[in-house]
Amino acid sequence: MVKLTIDGRELEFAAGTSLFEACRVARGEALPHFCYHPDLSVAGVCRLCQVEVEGMPKLTIACNTSVREGMVVHTRSERVRRAAQQILEMHLINHPVDCPICDQAGECGLQDQYMNYGLYESEVSISDKVNKAKVQVIGPRVVLDKERCVLCSRCVRFCDEVTRTGELGIFNRGDRAEIGVAPGRQLDNAYSLNTVDICPVGALTSLDFRFKKRVWLLRSTPSICHGCATGCNVRVDHEAGTVYRLKPRRNPAVNGSWMCDEGRDTYRELHAASRLSEPLLRRDGELRAATWPEAWAALAGAAGRELPPGAAVVSPRQSLEEIALFAHLAAALGVPAAAIGGGPREADRGEGDDLLRSADLAPNRAALGWLGLQEPAGADLAARVRAAKGAVLVYGADPAADAPGWREAVAGRTVIHLGTHRNATAEAADIVIPLSAWAERDGLFVNRQGRVQASRRAIARPGLAQEDWRFLADWLAAAGAAEVPASLPELRRWVAGRVTALAGVDLAVLPPEGLVPDAVAAGSGGES
Amino acid sequence: MDLVLTTFLKMAFMLAVILGLVPVLIWAERKGSAYIQDRTGPNRAGIAGIRLAGLIHPIADVLKLLFKEDVRPAGVHRVMYALAPFLVFFIALLTYAVIPFGDYLEVGGRRIPLVVADLDVGILYVLAIASLGTYGIVMGGWASNNKYTFLGAVRSTSQMISYEISMGLALMGLLLVSESLRLTDVVAGQGQLLWGFLPRWGVVIQPLGAILFMTAAFAETNRNPFDLPEGESELVSGYHLEYSSMKFALFFMAEYTNLVVASALIATLYFGGWNIPWLPRAVIEARAGGLLSLLLAAHVAICALAAALFLRRASRERGRFGDGRDREPGLMAGVSILLGLAGLAALALRPWEIGPAGASLLATVLQVGAFVGKVVFFCWFFIWVRWTLPRFRYDQLMHLGWKVMLPLALANLVVTAVVVALV
Amino acid sequence: MKGKVHGYGGKMTLGERLYLGEIFRGLGITIRHVIRNLLHTGDMPTVQYPEERRAYSPRFRGRHRLMKREDGTPRCVACMMCSTACPADCIHIVAEEHPDPAIEKAPASFEIDLLRCVYCGLCEEACPCDAIRMDTGIYDMAADSRAKFYVDKEFLLNNTTDGTR
Ligand code: SF4
Ligand code: SF4
Ligand code: SF4
Ligand code: SF4
Ligand code: FES
Repeated sequence: MVKLTIDGRELEFAAGTSLFEACRVARGEALPHFCYHPDLSVAGVCRLCQVEVEGMPKLTIACNTSVREGMVVHTRSERVRRAAQQILEMHLINHPVDCPICDQAGECGLQDQYMNYGLYESEVSISDKVNKAKVQVIGPRVVLDKERCVLCSRCVRFCDEVTRTGELGIFNRGDRAEIGVAPGRQLDNAYSLNTVDICPVGALTSLDFRFKKRVWLLRSTPSICHGCATGCNVRVDHEAGTVYRLKPRRNPAVNGSWMCDEGRDTYRELHAASRLSEPLLRRDGELRAATWPEAWAALAGAAGRELPPGAAVVSPRQSLEEIALFAHLAAALGVPAAAIGGGPREADRGEGDDLLRSADLAPNRAALGWLGLQEPAGADLAARVRAAKGAVLVYGADPAADAPGWREAVAGRTVIHLGTHRNATAEAADIVIPLSAWAERDGLFVNRQGRVQASRRAIARPGLAQEDWRFLADWLAAAGAAEVPASLPELRRWVAGRVTALAGVDLAVLPPEGLVPDAVAAGSGGES
Repeated sequence: MDLVLTTFLKMAFMLAVILGLVPVLIWAERKGSAYIQDRTGPNRAGIAGIRLAGLIHPIADVLKLLFKEDVRPAGVHRVMYALAPFLVFFIALLTYAVIPFGDYLEVGGRRIPLVVADLDVGILYVLAIASLGTYGIVMGGWASNNKYTFLGAVRSTSQMISYEISMGLALMGLLLVSESLRLTDVVAGQGQLLWGFLPRWGVVIQPLGAILFMTAAFAETNRNPFDLPEGESELVSGYHLEYSSMKFALFFMAEYTNLVVASALIATLYFGGWNIPWLPRAVIEARAGGLLSLLLAAHVAICALAAALFLRRASRERGRFGDGRDREPGLMAGVSILLGLAGLAALALRPWEIGPAGASLLATVLQVGAFVGKVVFFCWFFIWVRWTLPRFRYDQLMHLGWKVMLPLALANLVVTAVVVALV
Repeated sequence: MKGKVHGYGGKMTLGERLYLGEIFRGLGITIRHVIRNLLHTGDMPTVQYPEERRAYSPRFRGRHRLMKREDGTPRCVACMMCSTACPADCIHIVAEEHPDPAIEKAPASFEIDLLRCVYCGLCEEACPCDAIRMDTGIYDMAADSRAKFYVDKEFLLNNTTDGTR
């Protein structure tokens, strides 16, 4: 442990801690900075983070200094302030300041820094700024504006150190220096949009999000990505019921500061034209919109005629609570235990890699195992369903598309589809119940590490769609079950009581980085 | 048969005067308020550019109200809701039956008294009918199923009760003096002179009673400063809030009809009715020729003046609007000239040689004219007061009714009784 | 104004409390106005709108217009400063990419709900490009449906009383 004084406060840090992080703790906020990033190597090029260390003749950059015993550091002195002002002034000499059309405005490092350390009465103003290329599409997802770049090299370091693809580099010298892709290449790695996130200014912008919304209008909800089994922590940025983008949320235990590009696209399914917003019932051979009372009547009718025995299939895309409640409901409706399961287990369709992406695209497969539900592959699932007679309940999955032989297996039986989209199974179903998509409800998900993480409700459900657990609980009550959870916390307690892996875990207070139950950590040895 | 016919004719005359006055009053209300507030007032609606200083507006209003949708809000009591405006309007008209609007008309040697029904309990009838008007308002306010209308109705009732008493007491003072409940007697009694030079009008012998009666009349007609049942600022127009189209128009007309009734009553009871002061019937009949000539001459002079003014305006404002409105002053000048010429023609018929039958007719016409003139003046007075005084607060209204007017009316009655007994 | 003005709860003299005298004084004041106005009809301050119109200050905020570049395209760069500043939330802009990288951003649609607008002028003040102005002087707007007050980019671009400025 090392003891040092920052701004008059004496603090202790582990040896080797960067002075930048020490100052962040001491000040309660970070020092002004562009190039420092906790998950990248130190470059020390922007010179914004200079602090005064007693005994040193000149100011020193905090990001490239480690804490030393007895150091006396000043971060708020006039000298430090003046240095930051001058550095900013320098950065702005050739900056276009086209904030009105810059997508970064509102979350721009230059703007934020200038609010605190601006000179306002500029000392350097030139009329012929160096002009560089603007609106350069440098990859399938990223647009580069060379004028706005402050040459912090974060993007270059990301491509060199994290993805190790090295597409970007700094070319030329002096005020001609600029970011660019190596000749003949494109910024097209699977994590390219992270460069946009870490770019402190509007030099790198996302082609997808570009001009869709001004960022200050967005509201953020912490959640997790549902794109694959990794469960990257994300921020859902939305406004007026529409999600505009996903941004990674730092969680060193899961995804660091990053997320993959495909995961960022998953918000689109929330607003797809095929979203279900009202119950559908098959009448005269066609699916027609219905009201909830009609849907309940149809459900009761089908349950009375064809349940038990019946079969039930749930997708590993549903939350832990939902899968548990659904299995419970199926049992209450008389479906034999052998005919309740997950699936269809798909071959891993994702392009897994050793960074973040999992080949397994289901965000909650581990939960099926925890709940003791089997997950047969396509053809096996069809065979199992064929063996069980009576109505077929499908929750969230799309076996009509994914399980060979499914259509023959369910021919002539009532298919009840609970889901969010009009997929192939919904099209072939007799009763279609509209439920909430992932950003429209709260839920717990177990990622590939066995880590339980919370996904939060960000936006409202469309039309008549219902919250999943509430619908399941209502049906449970209608089926005459004794134990019906009255709220989500109650449901969570009930789930925790049924899953051995969760013994002794309080699901109501998950730590921010998620929670790996002790039983799981000991058993699996942890893959991360 | 004759009685029926003459009664019908008299009723027709009364109705014509009253209903004819309503649009004029509405116009006077608007134009008068505008002039009091330094505005121009209505001056837009016109027929081919003829606007008559806004007199066409009431016609436009009536057309508008006639063609408007008759909205009936949900939850109203259908029968009462529909009945209320008719009741209000009908009762407003009833009072006229007992008001004498002239002395008599001599036709073929027979004298027809100019009053529809000469009841010997005329004043009691007036009081009875006047308080009935509130029923329509209460019905309308209650049946509309709206708290504002209901509040308006409740206010109207309590106001009516509070002021009815002072009104009755004030009238009793007058009765003691005139010694009759018959309105014709009351009016005839006011034709004499007091001490040889003062008209023996109600207002002269019962000044306090006159003031009390007029104040109560304002309250009974719901006119400012007593228009709390309407109270736009707090009741968003009160009892008739939920009425539209012609039903609303009936309420609106009833208000002005009531205005005319109240004015006629004031004129009849306290301002000599059809009597022309210092000019009794005998004098008119004796000097008929001279009077008529004088009147005609005056008419010609006024027409000439008007024509001159209109012509001046026509020349000054030539082409001001660039449409039909530019023709108006010229046209009005023409009409004035024609009327003046008619007067001249009448003068050429030697009006100073008028016979005794003509003289009697002239006296009747002048007396009816005097009555109508007084009524019109008091109507204007109502309007004038409305645009001068602010509305009372409700507690002030009650205070005035019960703690000021009632004791004063009682005192007036006692003093009058004592004086009458002594003299 | 002549005469005493009483504060709330002030004492009135006996004469005032008798009301009648004061009422007649009031009636006198109003009738004087009537007579004066009857004799001098021309002196009334009423403006005979719409034939006559009051002259408004050049700073008067009337209906909005969008300014054009020299080539006739909107000057607006769809920065949403105006819609962000707007307290009535009545400006609705959808941005699009401009073919010229020097301009970069342009409004695909630009709509103002004139019925929600409170004519505060904050949009005008917020605009970094002087692209939206409220100097048309147009204040008398009438239409037979609400939809017609929801004006679009074309309307705003050509909505000007004084040519180009
Ligand atoms: S990078 Fe920042 S300062 Fe530069 S134009 Fe964009 S928002 Fe403005
Ligand atoms: S593009 Fe952005 S991240 Fe890359 S060097 Fe420039 S400012 Fe830094
Ligand atoms: S004038 Fe005010 S209310 Fe109207 S559009 Fe502009 S900012 Fe919005
Ligand atoms: S502030 Fe100006 S440039 Fe920006 S969107 Fe509004 S009108 Fe366009
Ligand atoms: S943050 Fe330290 S030099 Fe950039």
